[in-house]
Amino acid sequence: MVRKMVYAGEIVPLSLSDYLGEPACVVFFSGCNFDCGYCQNWGLKKSKEEHLTDIERVKKAISENKLVTACKVTGGEPLLQLDALLEIGRFAKSIGLKFGIDTNGSLPEALATVMPLLDLVSIDIKAELREESYRRVTRLRSPPVAEVIRSIEIAMRSKAQVELRMVVIPGYNDSVSTVKSISEKLKGLGYEEKASKGEACLNLIEFVPENAFDEEFRRIRNPSVSLLRDLALASGLKNVRITHRGIGISQPVS
Amino acid sequence: MTEAILNGRLPPPVRRSDGVIEPFDKERIVKSLLKETQLVKVLYNLPPMSEEDARRIAEEVEEDIKNMKLRFLSGPLIRELVSVKLLEHGFDKYRNVYTRVGMPLYDVYSIDHSEGYEAKENANLQPNPETFHKKKADFLSKESYLLMMPPRIADAHLRGDIHIHDLEYWGTRPFCQDHDLRYFFYYGLMPDGTGTHTSVAGPAKHAEVAILHAAKVLGAAQTNFAGGQGFFNFTVFMAPYLVGLDDKKIHQLAQMFLYEMTQLYVARGGQPVFSSIQIEAGVPKVWQDAPVVSHGKVWRDLTYGSLEDQVHAFANALLDEYLKGDAMGKMFNFPKPEVVQRRRYWTDSRFEDVMLKAAQLSAKYGSTYYDNVVPAYRGGEDGVSCFQCCAYAFAEDGSSEDFKRKINFEDGAHFSMGGMQVITLNLPRIAYRSGGDEGRMYEILKETMDIARDALLLKYRIMVQQFERGLIPFASQRPKGAPPAVDIKNLTHTIGFVGMNELVEHITGYELHEDPSAQKLALKVLIEMDRIRKTYSEETGLKFSIARTPAESCAQRFAVADMIHYPKYAKEYVKGDLERAMSLYGETKDVPIYYTNGAHVNVSAKVPLYERLAIEQRFFPILKGGDIFHVWLGEANPDPEAILKLNRKLALESWIGYWSHTKDITVCRACGFVGGGLNESCPMCRSQDIRVYSRITGYYQDIASWNAAKKQELKDRYRIRLSA
Repeated sequence: MVRKMVYAGEIVPLSLSDYLGEPACVVFFSGCNFDCGYCQNWGLKKSKEEHLTDIERVKKAISENKLVTACKVTGGEPLLQLDALLEIGRFAKSIGLKFGIDTNGSLPEALATVMPLLDLVSIDIKAELREESYRRVTRLRSPPVAEVIRSIEIAMRSKAQVELRMVVIPGYNDSVSTVKSISEKLKGLGYEEKASKGEACLNLIEFVPENAFDEEFRRIRNPSVSLLRDLALASGLKNVRITHRGIGISQPVS
Repeated sequence: MTEAILNGRLPPPVRRSDGVIEPFDKERIVKSLLKETQLVKVLYNLPPMSEEDARRIAEEVEEDIKNMKLRFLSGPLIRELVSVKLLEHGFDKYRNVYTRVGMPLYDVYSIDHSEGYEAKENANLQPNPETFHKKKADFLSKESYLLMMPPRIADAHLRGDIHIHDLEYWGTRPFCQDHDLRYFFYYGLMPDGTGTHTSVAGPAKHAEVAILHAAKVLGAAQTNFAGGQGFFNFTVFMAPYLVGLDDKKIHQLAQMFLYEMTQLYVARGGQPVFSSIQIEAGVPKVWQDAPVVSHGKVWRDLTYGSLEDQVHAFANALLDEYLKGDAMGKMFNFPKPEVVQRRRYWTDSRFEDVMLKAAQLSAKYGSTYYDNVVPAYRGGEDGVSCFQCCAYAFAEDGSSEDFKRKINFEDGAHFSMGGMQVITLNLPRIAYRSGGDEGRMYEILKETMDIARDALLLKYRIMVQQFERGLIPFASQRPKGAPPAVDIKNLTHTIGFVGMNELVEHITGYELHEDPSAQKLALKVLIEMDRIRKTYSEETGLKFSIARTPAESCAQRFAVADMIHYPKYAKEYVKGDLERAMSLYGETKDVPIYYTNGAHVNVSAKVPLYERLAIEQRFFPILKGGDIFHVWLGEANPDPEAILKLNRKLALESWIGYWSHTKDITVCRACGFVGGGLNESCPMCRSQDIRVYSRITGYYQDIASWNAAKKQELKDRYRIRLSA
């Protein structure tokens, strides 16, 4: 039998903050097609030889864990290793776990392929959904914004829980107009209908400068709780959550 | 006259410690020796000094003083000279009772300026004038009690074979107590226990008064006990006072209690009362049909079962107030909320709210403790039990004598669950002394446990005597001819232990998490300890139990003691930063090395939580005296719903009887920020003036007051986020 390998840098056997409402085992794939300056998992940006892991090992680690109810793959960008992702997803589902991924939304075709397996998809929204805004955060010459929008659309049409996550970085995406522009876009993609069924939420997350990859980002101040709350309210959307160390938990804003 | 003194013909006049100066008189030495060595009879049951010996000692001391040609002589100095003379003559025991106790002036100075090891032994003590006074008193008491107990026991403590906890209270206070609130709601409150120094209150008639009485019971009891004070079944016993009150009022009362317990900054030298409350979401089976006791009477026609709505509302209100925190948004670190886990609370959706709020409180501050009575070994639904203080457990099973009478409060019969004394065994040393031979190890284990048993029995005798003489007056109070508030003869004698991990490592070559053979041996040792414990109970009729010790200072003390007495082995097995410890050692005993608590897995072991659980849960059924399972939360912002589901699994599918989620909290003193994580500076204003709180063995404290070993342990803790 050929050993199937995957670039998976880490496995966190029990996470209480990566999968909405479930204690989860989290697999970190390595390799990413973005170059975000605020990245907190920058050790996994590149697929390195030392990350190569036998997929059976990953499966074993997931199945031994009796304390979790869900499995999540994050990264890196999980959709870059689609075959491995599908295999892990099928395995997780076969042992009764919920299955979810984090994605930057740049690979809608791959997302569509894995979508039937997903109970949860968390898609990053880096900034206003326009090229120049995305360019500043992701530092790509031509960021795939159309693909991100397409991914959100696919997610909205699925049966899965959809979590849209935006790390709020002062000076990049913390203005009321940014949030309003994003929320208008989301409404057009069917967010409100899905949210009213309790199947979609927008999570505004505190940017933590100490953990950022880029020196320039490390000098930025983290946003305040009240800023997150104001932005959440300004969005005018249903099911908006904020996550900040100052609150100590991720909580809905109403 | 000065000349005569200097020539050695006359001793100089004596400055006595009671403030008088008078000429030297050797007859005073004779008299004091005859009087004070009577204690040898009392303490060790040996004959006191004969007059002939006393006279000889006095004469020789006088001769010595003359030859020293001193210009200055004081009572304490003469006493030291007599003590030396007693030792010269081989009168060690007479010396023990004749010597002065006290401390070097330098240490007194250091304490007053909050420096040195003594400042950090108990993290619940913050520097303040009361604390400094207590520390000096503690020092004096500890030294005295070591002299008063048989040398075999004192030496075992000093060598580090065993650790006698709360030594400063050895002769005066029992350890801890979970009180029965019904007693005070029936008889009223007498804080001094006699009614002569404090006013005497009748039983509470109003909810506010009931709350204040509850707070004052714990405050008053703390003056009589060394350890934690708590209420079991708190929400149930409070319920009769909440009938007819709206939710807002019930929240107000809950808030009042939390503030009372964290602002009565009065216990033992300026610290809050070390308190806990057991929070039941509903009414447990044994209390369903029990008559309500409140407002000074036993309500024959009203049962606790009919008050379940009030119990439920009060549990919710307490958790809501804990979640709010204080005016700064800071957590209430006392009273520790012990949220009871019963199968019914997980299967009946009415109680979901309480279970969720408990999880939210864990997510936000990590402050919830889960008291899980689901596993069969906890006695099921037919007994009463509680975890309190630093995770010690006490129980009365439904078949015990008088159980029914206590449930019905017949003639004031009530529950009194608590501990008399804890003595901890240094398990790694037992392994070292065995030379690696397992059979020999069990022999040494038995010998060491026998010393602990003798010490516990001695403590029992002293405490019963003090109690009967009315010298523990809050505990022994008998208002209106009631049975005493505390059943002194029914307290538990706890044998704790530290370093099971290092014991098995020495014998098998593996730490607990490294090999099944290590886990098997740990279990075998625990079963043997439990077997020996049973023989003690049978021989004496007293309650003995085995517990994991919340080894705040003794995990470090044992490691240091073994570096002195067994350096060859110890340096291989102690955990922490040995290199730094060695470089610091000449200067201080507060060095960053420790043994692993109880039968826990090494805190820095790279094993996932489920593996740690699989190992540690097997020890719970044996450790009926108490154990705790720690979930260290690495996340700054954990998801309460995820914690809820994890709790459900722990409650219904594991043998864990008691657990908590530990979350580190940063409090900024500059801007008031309160939030998750071990931050170096404030995430909001970047001030360095921050305090970081984490759980020290059994409760939360500012880590600035932690000793070096505990700080090292914090760095070493394996966080569930970090596994590779």
